[in-house]
Amino acid sequence: MTSTTLGAPASDGARPAGTRRPRRRVPAAAVLQYLVLGAMFVLLAGPLVWQLSLSLKGPGDDLYARPPRLFPSDPTLTNFVDVLDRVPVLHYVGNSLVVAGIVVIGNIVGATLAGYALARLRFRGRKVVLGLLLSAMFVPVETVIISQFLLVRSMQLQNTLLGVALPTLITALNVLLMRNAFAAIPKELEEAATIDGANAWQRFLRVCAPQVKGVITVVAIFSFVGAWNDFLWPLIVLSDDSQFTLTVGLNRLRGTFYDDPRLIAAGTIVALVPIVAFFALLQRYFFRGLESGGLKG
Amino acid sequence: MRKKRYAAIAAGVAGVAMLVTACGDSDGASTDTSDSASGELSGEISFQTWNLKNDKFTPYFESLIDEFESEHPGTTINWVDQPAEGYQEKLSADAAAGSLPDVVDMGPEAAYTLAQAGVILDVAAADPGAEDLYLPKAWEAMTFEGLDGGTYGYPWYLNTGPSFFNTQLFEECGLDPASLPTTYDELFEQSKTLRENCPDKAMIARTPVIENFGEYGVPLMNDEGTEFTYNDSKGVELVEQFIELYEGQGLTEEALNNLQTNEVEEFKAGRVAYLPGSSYTLNDLKETAPDIYDSIAMGPRINNAAPNMYIESLVVNANTENQELAAEFAKYVTNSENQFEFAKAANVFPSSAGTLEDPYFTTEDGTPETQVRVETAQQVNEAVVWWPPAFSGAADAEALREQVALALIGEKSAQEALDASVEYSNSRLSGN
Amino acid sequence: MAQPTVKDRVAAPVTSRPARRAGRDGPASSTHSLWFTPWLFVAPAIVVVGLLVVYPFINTLVLSLTDSTMLQRGAFIGLANFERLFSDPRFATAMLNSSAYVLCVVPLMVLLPLVLAVLVRGNTRIMGFFRTTFYLPVVMSAVVVGLVWTNLLGKQGLVNELLQWLQVIAEPVPFLTDRWLLQFSAMFVTVWMGLGYYMVIYLAALANIDDTLYDAASVDGAGVVRSFLNVTLPGVSNTMFLIGLLSSIAAFRVFSEVYVLTNGTGGIGGQNLTMTMLVQREGTGLQAQTGYAGAISLVMFVVLGAIIAVQLIVQNRQEKS
Repeated sequence: MTSTTLGAPASDGARPAGTRRPRRRVPAAAVLQYLVLGAMFVLLAGPLVWQLSLSLKGPGDDLYARPPRLFPSDPTLTNFVDVLDRVPVLHYVGNSLVVAGIVVIGNIVGATLAGYALARLRFRGRKVVLGLLLSAMFVPVETVIISQFLLVRSMQLQNTLLGVALPTLITALNVLLMRNAFAAIPKELEEAATIDGANAWQRFLRVCAPQVKGVITVVAIFSFVGAWNDFLWPLIVLSDDSQFTLTVGLNRLRGTFYDDPRLIAAGTIVALVPIVAFFALLQRYFFRGLESGGLKG
Repeated sequence: MRKKRYAAIAAGVAGVAMLVTACGDSDGASTDTSDSASGELSGEISFQTWNLKNDKFTPYFESLIDEFESEHPGTTINWVDQPAEGYQEKLSADAAAGSLPDVVDMGPEAAYTLAQAGVILDVAAADPGAEDLYLPKAWEAMTFEGLDGGTYGYPWYLNTGPSFFNTQLFEECGLDPASLPTTYDELFEQSKTLRENCPDKAMIARTPVIENFGEYGVPLMNDEGTEFTYNDSKGVELVEQFIELYEGQGLTEEALNNLQTNEVEEFKAGRVAYLPGSSYTLNDLKETAPDIYDSIAMGPRINNAAPNMYIESLVVNANTENQELAAEFAKYVTNSENQFEFAKAANVFPSSAGTLEDPYFTTEDGTPETQVRVETAQQVNEAVVWWPPAFSGAADAEALREQVALALIGEKSAQEALDASVEYSNSRLSGN
Repeated sequence: MAQPTVKDRVAAPVTSRPARRAGRDGPASSTHSLWFTPWLFVAPAIVVVGLLVVYPFINTLVLSLTDSTMLQRGAFIGLANFERLFSDPRFATAMLNSSAYVLCVVPLMVLLPLVLAVLVRGNTRIMGFFRTTFYLPVVMSAVVVGLVWTNLLGKQGLVNELLQWLQVIAEPVPFLTDRWLLQFSAMFVTVWMGLGYYMVIYLAALANIDDTLYDAASVDGAGVVRSFLNVTLPGVSNTMFLIGLLSSIAAFRVFSEVYVLTNGTGGIGGQNLTMTMLVQREGTGLQAQTGYAGAISLVMFVVLGAIIAVQLIVQNRQEKS
């Protein structure tokens, strides 16, 4: 095996880094693998397909037929047109993006810094800080949401997108994930850098952070999804409907006195599209990041 | 801030009483500034509605606000609308933070809690003449005996509806669509027959809620409004009827857990033959369940005492900086003309005095929609808002449903179940 | 710069370490020169989490000693809320439900996503496709998930229809009304939603396992299963513990799945209430009894602390051995 410098993906020509070399791959195992994957796919994506079907059903479709019909008998795109008409989707997507952007950056920076210190720097009070963060994970949202609102108000951040982003700017969960990731880096790497005279900040930035790119990407995705899907907190913080995020804005689709399920389904799909697109586009980079985040040999 | 500046002007001018509007006189309900003489309204207030800013109602509200602002130059009404879900949480957060808007749309139950905390205005005290503008029953619904007898909101729209029946199911299951049940006894009787003939269908889709108890004739609270009393013999009787029905399998297991939304869905799916509806249920059926729509029949709301209705009101923030304007605007939105327009647009009913006598609500023209409207309007005249404002739609209603379910599955007797539920509700009544 | 090569590491695992090992907490610690450096690193996290999560929670805990409601500050009533809680029949039910959740869900959440992650490694496009679709449930909001599964699991839902068609059962299974079936249905939905989430974390951890270890294993004649047990598992053991921790916390705090499958009711007669549902019921809404809800939160906090402590102790012992 050739030794490599850190960070550059190794390649021995035949295969990209990170894939296991299939030794004696019995065809049956491969078949089984794909069968399992296929079943999982049906299980995991099926409900989404159902929502899609619902959103394409027209006024002539009986929504309550038993057994449920997958294919609309009266297919139409009017539900989507309606959604785009009634709700300024692009504007709300913009707001959601701002909030999600703030949350992602905050978490990447804050959680990585804290995670590194907790994993790799010795200092008095390290255990206390860890305990604090761990206990923050037990807190049920429902009991603190009003206090959080009062706090945000006292900072004059109510009705702002920053106020929406604030409570999840750095989450304990992400700090723990990063700490775990840093702890897995072999000590020799840092020790070598220390010998060379690197201080904590340099070790962090040059040596360790590149090692955990994969987990950083995980943190980014989790933060993004969390911020994107949140409903109750933005509802409470925002009062101007020009500031609404997408989830709150799409709630407008609820009829005043009764709902049109097709419309709601179309709204759900519309809310999902940006996030699925985001993930699908990034997943190659993301998973490549995961693959190359490790040491190669 | 703009608000402060307007407040200063308003304070100066607000010493003078309000301009007399078309209906009713109000004497100077000034807060800290004293003299009363008729004069100009001015200033800025915020007006919050609940899920009413959409294609259907936005033009209505915008023109209503424009008219008001042009009749009272120098006033500005900021209209805010909250999304459908999370309204209670939003109200709680705003109330806790002191950021409740000046005029807010809510029902009696929310108003009761806010009144208990002193957050909203007693409009009877602040505006005595206003009572005459509304139907007595509507005004009563917003009057909270259990607190101090004050009235805590201007009544807005009313909602009640007929009973809907699925005639196709009736025919299939040995019942006669021409003799629809009109009392609870008939309903239970026919439920049993339906069950015998069609084992997988049912008549009733959910267990009784507090409004049903009222409709059955159970006294819900004592006269002073300080204690719940629905665990008396009549209440037990109602629950026992349901127990009997459940034991005979005339009620599905899901029914023990069903909410009003599930009830509607079951009806739309053709699995249930009876739906106590609202005035807009007809439209809902037409748009989302056309098959069922074709085979429905309507009858009066089933009750032994009086049919139930719901009321929505506009409350005024007790700490508003511009009480004159807020109260005036609230009365404007709830005046006869504006309520009439809204009722037409939304298929609900006005609570303003005399509006229901308009031919729109009394004259049929042969179409089913009009028939529903006229019959339901008549029903409003007899209807009562049964739901006690002190009864929480969340915790108390859930406790009641759970206890009734436990009684139905045989874990406790009807009396025990109701006792437990009443005890729970009473313990939450005190407030500070 | 002489960086240790992988060969060195594999060949001589633990022995060679620089002499200057970690001095404990002295000012010029071996890891950093300025005493406040670590504090700079953790400051943002402490500020945000401390201010916006811990501080409001402390407030809530203080409330548990009062009879406060949402809108009105209450008076100090000592431990009355706790007395009331322990005699509340719903408390026993909720504790049972939430605890059962932890016991059943955590093992699944630690193992299944790992297996899945192993299956979808590989940089091919089809694997990429699978990875995206497996992650989809995480991205869907709990409400949508609940709606769909309520549809699927109802007496006339797709699952029952399928089972009856395949003649596995004669009568529809009451997934959503029977107390324990509902519990397991909710657990199923939780696992379903969590698979993609934890799979992603495992993927990141798997990438850190050195390939040479796998090569060494196959040279020794290990098949798929053996190399999984001997190479993969030890390599991700840290992550497994972390996920055990995370999923325990999430399982004990389960709310959305049960809430949505029961339409917010908590099952027939409230039999499927979980601890968080109890908190939500008592602690939100205009008539909320925030003092009582605070007491429930405190009890949850203590129980969770115990669960976590046990896991950390086990992990410590494991690491020492």
